Amino acid sequence: MRLFLHPPGPLSQIGRVLWCAAIAVFAAVLSLVWTSPARADDSEARKAESPYFQVNSSEPGTDRLPLKSTTVDVRIAGVIADVTVVQRYRNEGQRPIEARYVFPGSTQSAVYAMNVRLGDRLLTARIKEKQAARVEYEAAKKEGRTTALLEQHRPNVFEMNVANILPGDDVRVELHYTELLTPTDARYGFVFPTVVGPRYAGAPSAGGAMPAVPYLKEGEATPATFDIQVSIDAPVSVKEVTSSSHDVRVDNVGTQHVKVALAPTGSRPANNRDFLLDYRLAGDRIETGLMLFRGGDENYFLGLIEPPKAAPSRSINPRDYVFVVDISGSMHGYPLETAKVLLQNLIGSLRPSDTFNVMLFSGSNSMLSPTSVPATRANIDKAMDTIRAMGGGGSTEIVPALKRLAALPKADGVSRSVIVVTDGYVNVESEVFQLVRQHLSHQNVFAFGIGSSVNRHLIEGLARAGMGEAFIVTKPAEAAAQAERLRKMIDSPVLTHVKLRFEGLDAYDVEPAQQPDVLGGRPVVVFGKWKGDTTHAKLVVDGRSGDGPYRIEMATAGHEDNTSSALRLLWARQRIAALSDQEALEGGSTQKEAITALGLQHGLLTQYTSFIAVDKIVRNPNPALSPSVDQPSPLPEGVSNLSIGAEVPSTPEPSAWLALLVVVGVVGATLATRRRKA
Amino acid sequence: MTRIVLSTSESGRWLGRIDRLPPPVWLALQAAALWPHWRWAAARVADGSDDPLGLAALAAFALLVAREVPRMSARPSGRWWTAAAIATGAATLATFMLPPLIGAVFAALAMACVARAFLPSGHATLPMAGLAVLALPVVSSLQFYAGFPLRVVTAQLSTWILQLAGLGAERAGTAMVVEGRLVIVDAPCSGVQMVWMAYFCACAMAGYGRLADRAFLRRLPAAGLFVLAGNVVRNSVLVAMEATGRPVSEALHQGIGLVVLAAVCAGVVWVIRGGRDGTQ
Repeated sequence: MRLFLHPPGPLSQIGRVLWCAAIAVFAAVLSLVWTSPARADDSEARKAESPYFQVNSSEPGTDRLPLKSTTVDVRIAGVIADVTVVQRYRNEGQRPIEARYVFPGSTQSAVYAMNVRLGDRLLTARIKEKQAARVEYEAAKKEGRTTALLEQHRPNVFEMNVANILPGDDVRVELHYTELLTPTDARYGFVFPTVVGPRYAGAPSAGGAMPAVPYLKEGEATPATFDIQVSIDAPVSVKEVTSSSHDVRVDNVGTQHVKVALAPTGSRPANNRDFLLDYRLAGDRIETGLMLFRGGDENYFLGLIEPPKAAPSRSINPRDYVFVVDISGSMHGYPLETAKVLLQNLIGSLRPSDTFNVMLFSGSNSMLSPTSVPATRANIDKAMDTIRAMGGGGSTEIVPALKRLAALPKADGVSRSVIVVTDGYVNVESEVFQLVRQHLSHQNVFAFGIGSSVNRHLIEGLARAGMGEAFIVTKPAEAAAQAERLRKMIDSPVLTHVKLRFEGLDAYDVEPAQQPDVLGGRPVVVFGKWKGDTTHAKLVVDGRSGDGPYRIEMATAGHEDNTSSALRLLWARQRIAALSDQEALEGGSTQKEAITALGLQHGLLTQYTSFIAVDKIVRNPNPALSPSVDQPSPLPEGVSNLSIGAEVPSTPEPSAWLALLVVVGVVGATLATRRRKA
Repeated sequence: MTRIVLSTSESGRWLGRIDRLPPPVWLALQAAALWPHWRWAAARVADGSDDPLGLAALAAFALLVAREVPRMSARPSGRWWTAAAIATGAATLATFMLPPLIGAVFAALAMACVARAFLPSGHATLPMAGLAVLALPVVSSLQFYAGFPLRVVTAQLSTWILQLAGLGAERAGTAMVVEGRLVIVDAPCSGVQMVWMAYFCACAMAGYGRLADRAFLRRLPAAGLFVLAGNVVRNSVLVAMEATGRPVSEALHQGIGLVVLAAVCAGVVWVIRGGRDGTQ
């Protein structure tokens, strides 16, 4: 207190020395306690889960577009496709980077291997439990080793992380997956999705977090190139090889060995929509029958049974149709126009004895009428007027829409079909499947996916959960044919009450455990394991067709094929899908252990297992200084900027440097004037 | 009376040498003692989490000190040395328990106190202390704590102005709906940058004009009012232009912002120089 009442005089020599010593001690103490580096605390935080537009960084020397190319090599042998995807990352900046890239996969794919080629060295990835793989990746990243991690966010959405890509590095990541091609109406289709559509997340979902995906603006092409080559080997000649999505060059058509490659397309990018390839076999045959594989520990089989031809329905039962139409922002423009054409075809072909209703949903939902109305000309015209006036905008709240649908009253004795029309750009797949299974399973749910890059996981899952069928419509011209296909299916189911059994062979772990009704020209598909002798055994399929009871018997003798090792992967993939469906129904992670065990045992990528490759050599001496770069995706073709959000104007202040220049100018001019006056 | 002490011992001669160190060296020593705070500030600016505007304030502070060096006394004021010691101690303690910015503010004040210790009695302290604090990366923190209230006030005042001008305007939070069009008053529109510029201008003018602390304090609120009025005018003009639905070019945005800023700074200069009286 005295110090402040009687201020001390100027310092003496001793005082100054003491002062000097004191500040030296302060400096030493500060140096010792100063351990934390100065940086923002949210460096490890995950970004918001919503999609966003890529912001051009002013950070010099950082390559913001490290993915240079994606090359796909597809080999189709019989009904099994083996696909190799090569993603080439090259760092053309001056700083080491970590690249993150969210990309789509086929819904049926079983990803079984990953390799990383770094220069002339090959790093083989191992499958590990997801968290353990993430920990190993982070550790390798911090140590400065080049490392790659592949994770699954949805069965059809993957995330590749490649850390410590040094300037000039050329890192090639190879993925291998296999999938079963199931024909429809004797036509085979192969799909390779190239871009993940911008998903609406809504409230936090039980399906797990989707990473934030940056997008380029509408019409902006990504500099990453895309190329795909397909070779088809079939026991009979292949015909009518077409792609409705891309211009392709087809060689050797009409032979048993067909090659397909992308034709030069000029300025139209190839990687902003799904690659679709269709073909038929000579005589409109489909490859049916049994495939048996004798493995080391266990044996696997695949049964593909052609259904009987659909018989016309003899009696006309009254039917009720509810059309549920997504009019959210991501449907704005061409997808909504396609949906309108589709609905015109669907509603226009209703019979007068049918009743129908239309629900439009985005952030909220509205019904055409409180209860279903007869399909009279006046009602159809009124519905068509409403549909034609639709404009896309808002979020995609599909769950409340389906809940309202479940609560709709239904007359006894009326068979109701629910037709959902959406692009599926939502993250709530699990909730949707659960809702449909619990409340809509007594009604047939048909899902129409509209757009150039549909969320097939949602569309196919919806149909599976609702015991219906999935349809994909990529352009308005396809709408009429798909509407007709649906009408045929609803009018005359091909095979119901399907039951399969082996005689003379012990079959177990059969997938699916219960066969759904066969509604269209699709075969019955069954996977499973077997024990015993195949010499005198047979597979028996019983069911009820339009003409009464139906039975198919297939002998197993001579169907063993030791080259079909992919069957074990496809069986495991099917089993994991069934367990995931079960998990979605139960909520939480009830099947985590079983799925993890299957993933590790069969070396498959799942929601609980990831692929990790780590270089042995430490290459980056300062890994902490390497920025993370999120590879942006192009917007799917036909999807507008509204799917991510419209820009709202604001009134920002002028740039800091210009403002400072003005202030310094004002101060300097004032001082100079004053000096002159003085 | 001048005392001359001649040391005959070795330690005495060393003490004599230390005693003859010029004031800038003492300032440099003080700065060196607080170096972790400067390292934090530099890293914060370098990693892009704050605008490097503080460099201008640092330069102004350095120029101000350099200009006063000839007037600096060889016998520093013990009172200001004590204040510097307390501020240095607080800066050190702050590293254990307070956010880094608080510690850096104490460190900046310690520098201002040391500089003041060498200056003649009655010299202004606050402009120097103000420049030292503005030299720190404070804009982001100001934005965090003061940004939202400023945005709400700006949006509300702009809404009233536009309503008086006959436009249909409503405020919802920090957003405005003008003639049916949504315009947001987001963080870059808050006026925090203008606050920094105006106070920098005030401190620099007061420092170079050797304005007494009391007079400086009396005039600061008027500078604040100039900032608020300037930001409201800038925001109102830009919102009215956006509400027409025609895209407003980036250059026009910048130009209007700079003209208003120049007017605000001219107002601040006018106030600091004593307004109509012209007294300092």
